[in-house]
Amino acid sequence: MASRVVKVDREALAKAAGPFSVRAIMVGLRVTSRHFFRNLWGWIIGKPTIATVMYPEEDVVKPPAFRGMPVLVEMDNGKERCVACGLCEWACPVDCIHIVPDETEDAIERYPQLFDIDMGRCMYCGLCEEACPEEAIVMSDRVEIAAFSREGTLWHKDDLLVPVDRLARRLEYVRRSYER
Amino acid sequence: MAEQEQSTAEESTDRLEIPFEPLEMKLGPSHPATHGTVRLNLRLDGETVVTAEVEVGFLHRGFEKECESGLYYQAFPYTDRLNYVSPMINNVGYALACEKLFDVEAPERCQYLRVLASEASRIADHLTCMGACALELGAFTAFLYAVEARESAWDILDAMCGARVTCNYVRIGGVASDVGPEFAALVREKLAEVARLHKDFEDLLLANPIFRDRMEGTGILPKDELVALGVTGPLLRAAGVPLDLRRVDPYLVYDRMDFDVPIGESGDNMDRFLVRCEEVRQSARMVEQCLVDLPEGPVDLDDPRVRLPAKGQVFSRMEQLISQFKLVTEGPRPPVGEVYQAVEGGNGELGFYLVSDGTGKPYKCRARSPSFSNTQAMPPMVEGGMLADVIPTFDMVNMIGGECDR
Amino acid sequence: MVEESAQPSAPEDPLLQRLRDKFGEAVVSTHSYRGDRTAIIDRGSLVATCEWLRDDPQNQFDMLMDVTAVDYLGRRPRFEVVYHLYSIEKNHRARIKVALEEDDVKVASVVSVWSGANWLEREAWDLYGIQFDGHPELKRIYLYEEFEGHPLRKDYPKEKRQPLIGPGAPEGAADGGESSS
Repeated sequence: MASRVVKVDREALAKAAGPFSVRAIMVGLRVTSRHFFRNLWGWIIGKPTIATVMYPEEDVVKPPAFRGMPVLVEMDNGKERCVACGLCEWACPVDCIHIVPDETEDAIERYPQLFDIDMGRCMYCGLCEEACPEEAIVMSDRVEIAAFSREGTLWHKDDLLVPVDRLARRLEYVRRSYER
Repeated sequence: MAEQEQSTAEESTDRLEIPFEPLEMKLGPSHPATHGTVRLNLRLDGETVVTAEVEVGFLHRGFEKECESGLYYQAFPYTDRLNYVSPMINNVGYALACEKLFDVEAPERCQYLRVLASEASRIADHLTCMGACALELGAFTAFLYAVEARESAWDILDAMCGARVTCNYVRIGGVASDVGPEFAALVREKLAEVARLHKDFEDLLLANPIFRDRMEGTGILPKDELVALGVTGPLLRAAGVPLDLRRVDPYLVYDRMDFDVPIGESGDNMDRFLVRCEEVRQSARMVEQCLVDLPEGPVDLDDPRVRLPAKGQVFSRMEQLISQFKLVTEGPRPPVGEVYQAVEGGNGELGFYLVSDGTGKPYKCRARSPSFSNTQAMPPMVEGGMLADVIPTFDMVNMIGGECDR
Repeated sequence: MVEESAQPSAPEDPLLQRLRDKFGEAVVSTHSYRGDRTAIIDRGSLVATCEWLRDDPQNQFDMLMDVTAVDYLGRRPRFEVVYHLYSIEKNHRARIKVALEEDDVKVASVVSVWSGANWLEREAWDLYGIQFDGHPELKRIYLYEEFEGHPLRKDYPKEKRQPLIGPGAPEGAADGGESSS
């Protein structure tokens, strides 16, 4: 296989335009009317062909790889899976994660007393998810973080906990992609 | 004005001479006919540009300082924000520089995926550039087609990494995740969409007399001046210099790809536009070849020095858990040294110069951005031309603020 | 820091060999690391070297890709100005470095050799405070003229704030205070 150097064809353009550019105008009209009638037909039969999505009435289809905001996995007993090891805090390039660890009587022995993510700083890079040795923090498909104040973008542990069954799709994706 | 006319009338009777002062005009930093945050200080004589000065830096955010303060792998999200229209190429460039420093090479499947991602990004980059150019010359419909096609190109990236612009996909010695079995079908569908809209886009514009009048013969700079100014990419190729790093200095698996490098002749804006048009098609061809040739195998290097261990083993095995902790907290540690690695970005040579002092943080991480050198060549391109020609020239220079100002 | 551990100069590399033969004492040292050829040039003969590199038919370095600086804080000489060269005809690359002492951060400008050095040198001045003698218009490019210090120097703290300027800036809004360096 090899690459070749080719020259762009300038002469063809003038030819394509035709005398007095009549052909160019006709071609332009044909293209725009085709798009118009295609979209009109799609609207009539109820299968819109336009690219616009009427957010928030309807939502875009997100692929399984989609990285929304990071959330904490809540186990079936209502507690977080996180053991407050702090790896996500290390990995975060923008230092938006803040953890205060504490000890517990449970089998996992450690838990985060405080787990704050400053969503105003978070850039959804997913390095926390990759660093986490417990599958405790994953990227969800939630993206709505609007708030009326700066404090409103600081999410605490209770806001971040999401039941494990609602994250099934992402957890499956994470297991597959980090399995090598 | 009135005073000037009076004085002229008094002075001369036989020869009409109007003393003039060049009109100073500031175009930007935020102007509807320019994309990207940049200010052009123009001095005009009537409608002719006498001198032009470009002021950049409105988007400066300390890329290098940020990279130096983080670990090697933490710089990947920042590289996304260099040329934010083709983020994957930046990712790949930085990863290749790191791999050169670590002296490792990614597995073959990973290399194909990187080429695929780079070329999909290049499609998005060129479509954005051409679409914005069309918009700023008044062709709004063509812009919408281009942006819709770009969305399709971004859908490919979205399926790979989960984000359209802030990809953060490539890692040192691998990529973040492998693609699924349904990926090939999706890419083919999206490529067909890109091809369809790109065809319509070309039909609307290329033969259009108004568009051609504004593009042809404007913004010309001789070949040797472009070279002296360090201009690379489609701008240089449009002037007839076949400098494409994918061809002359193949990295990854570009030496196995079958593609054409389009060049122009006169180097005016129309040539630049046509070169970009053709490159979109060639990039689509390369994506298709990557899909066909994509080998089976691992996408990640099995090297605990640079790449995180498999997650399943981290849960159950002590050695891997320690490795995970060490790599995340200390980062991969390269040997002492310095490397420069260049890749062909959307606008030209994108180089990364890394200096390592042996710790987990880059001592210096410098991005040689093509937009910076290309924007520098703008004043000589527009000086002596008409004011209206500044707009298509600026569009074809395609100054991307994030990359130019870093 | 870098030079000691990099491999000793590779005499087999013809380009570096020619450079040594031509300029002798002016070439402080040469080495190749991971295929990147590097030559450290004495400050005084930078322009002459660059002209030779550009014009000699065996070199033909017609493109200056990059000019930047590295701040090795705590080492002498403290600064290194780094030039990356590329030749379209020969398709080869080279790196030229010039070491500068902290109290005399001056080097000759190469704008006369490659006009593309103009902005790149302005950037190095802006972010590292390297002064380029003979540069036509050495002023800041990214930052504003009132900015104090050079932010990419290693002794410039990342969190440092500069006072607000311009219309609407509150009186005494300077929370940054004194300048660095």
